[in-house]
Amino acid sequence: MIAIGRYNLLIARSGGNPGWWKYLVAAAAGLGVLWWAAIGAQVSFGELAKGMPWIADFLGRMLPPNWEFMGKLVKPAIETVQIALWGTLLAVVLAVPLCFFAARNISPNAAVFHAMRQVLNITRGINEIILALIFVAAVGLGPFPGVLALALHGAGMLGKFFAESIEEIDQGPIEALRSTGAGPIQTIVFGVIPQVVTAWIGVIVYRFETNLRQATVLGMVGAGGIGFELVGSMKLFQYQDTATCILVIVVMVMTADYLSTRLRAWIQQGARS
Amino acid sequence: MIEIRGLGKRYGDFTALHQVDLAVGKGEFVVILGASGAGKSTLLRCINQLAEPTQGEVRVDGAPVRRDRAGLRRVRRDVAMIFQHYNVVPRLSVLKNVLTGRLGSMPALASWFQVFPARDIAIARECLRRVELDHKADLRTDTLSGGQKQRVGIARALAQRPKVILADEPVASLDPKTSRKVLNYLRQASREDGITVICNLHQVDYAREFAQRVIGVAGGRVVFEGRPDELTDEVLQRIYPGGLEPDPGEPKEDAALAAAHAPALPPVQQLALEQP
Repeated sequence: MIAIGRYNLLIARSGGNPGWWKYLVAAAAGLGVLWWAAIGAQVSFGELAKGMPWIADFLGRMLPPNWEFMGKLVKPAIETVQIALWGTLLAVVLAVPLCFFAARNISPNAAVFHAMRQVLNITRGINEIILALIFVAAVGLGPFPGVLALALHGAGMLGKFFAESIEEIDQGPIEALRSTGAGPIQTIVFGVIPQVVTAWIGVIVYRFETNLRQATVLGMVGAGGIGFELVGSMKLFQYQDTATCILVIVVMVMTADYLSTRLRAWIQQGARS
Repeated sequence: MIEIRGLGKRYGDFTALHQVDLAVGKGEFVVILGASGAGKSTLLRCINQLAEPTQGEVRVDGAPVRRDRAGLRRVRRDVAMIFQHYNVVPRLSVLKNVLTGRLGSMPALASWFQVFPARDIAIARECLRRVELDHKADLRTDTLSGGQKQRVGIARALAQRPKVILADEPVASLDPKTSRKVLNYLRQASREDGITVICNLHQVDYAREFAQRVIGVAGGRVVFEGRPDELTDEVLQRIYPGGLEPDPGEPKEDAALAAAHAPALPPVQQLALEQP
């Protein structure tokens, strides 16, 4: 406890150990790290202030958005949704068979469990944009490398969530099914899936929402969708077109967010009744 | 029907079962009595290999139980199990839960896609009729009461057409009236179908009422074997060395006893006692 005038600072280890100087050292070290990071990242509010007129100029060129350009965006916007849809579907197809091996309570043994967890960690660890760059190099420009990027990264994400929901299920019915002489796949079909299916659908819907958001930027690396138009318009200095792209993206993402929230709430409700 | 010789089970340093020998005949209704942690559950689980015995041999219907895939499937098809917490799958329909009892004997590939032979569906319906739940067949199982869920558990066990039913404290979470009903279904199964029933209980009353033979287990050893009318106070003292568990009718005494003992123990020790 540190007394500051009439006030007492109630930050102390239980037992009232008078080790307050340790906190001082920790605070100084914390500030040091932030200072070091600020130098590396060149965080400078002075620069921001100096750049203000340029930002204002840029925004000025974007306004008003070019509404005419909207007509050209319909197709790429639909393509974005299509990329997200197939990216999500393939991610589910990849994740479902893997997740059972990555769930501690179902996995046949510890080695398989750890190996599968690592596989999921690696695919999840690589950002979609990086994957898209790789796939663009491999299969060429267009929406399909975008689909593959979303599928691979999404499989890692979904696999982990699926496995975690399997680990949370009631183990009793699983034991009961094993005791009837059911095989491993029968046990999964009748004991595991019914217990996790609503959680899984919720996660898949959320994944679709995330994929849609990611699909809007995949075009920047040439992997199709509305991001392609965004980058194109910027390269041609057509900032009014850029503004239209950004507006369309914002509306798409907000719509997806709203629909997915509603859908998940509805599923949760359905699961309870 | 069941022969157990020199069965032992260790969990790390803890020995749950010491050298248990036991023989149970066809169609017999045997009750295993014992305090919590005496090894009753472990004994049942060693029979259908939900727990792997550390030593000894289990024979079901003359054949030794093996732990390879085919051996496990065989013993588990012949030996059905009923659980204290019912262990029915909550989101499946009542009928489908009963059908899971047939999984070991139906074509696996079709069952993955929810295709069941008509014969198995007929068996499942028949078993539901026997526990008087045929009118609930299409309801989701989590809409049922505890007693009804346990009846679904019994129907699932019967649907296996087993030679043996192992019941692990099947009525520990049920009220007395429902408990009798559930135990009656089990007795019926043993009398009418000649199914061997081994039932773990900790209520002495039910053991007296339903058992043909009582096995007393304490500290992982069989300490009594005999007819229910041989359950004298001296025998019960042997089965429950720490004192007889109170009848459901007088739980106050137990609470008072617990209250008297609890403050004497430091919290850590209490925790250790709760999680043996």
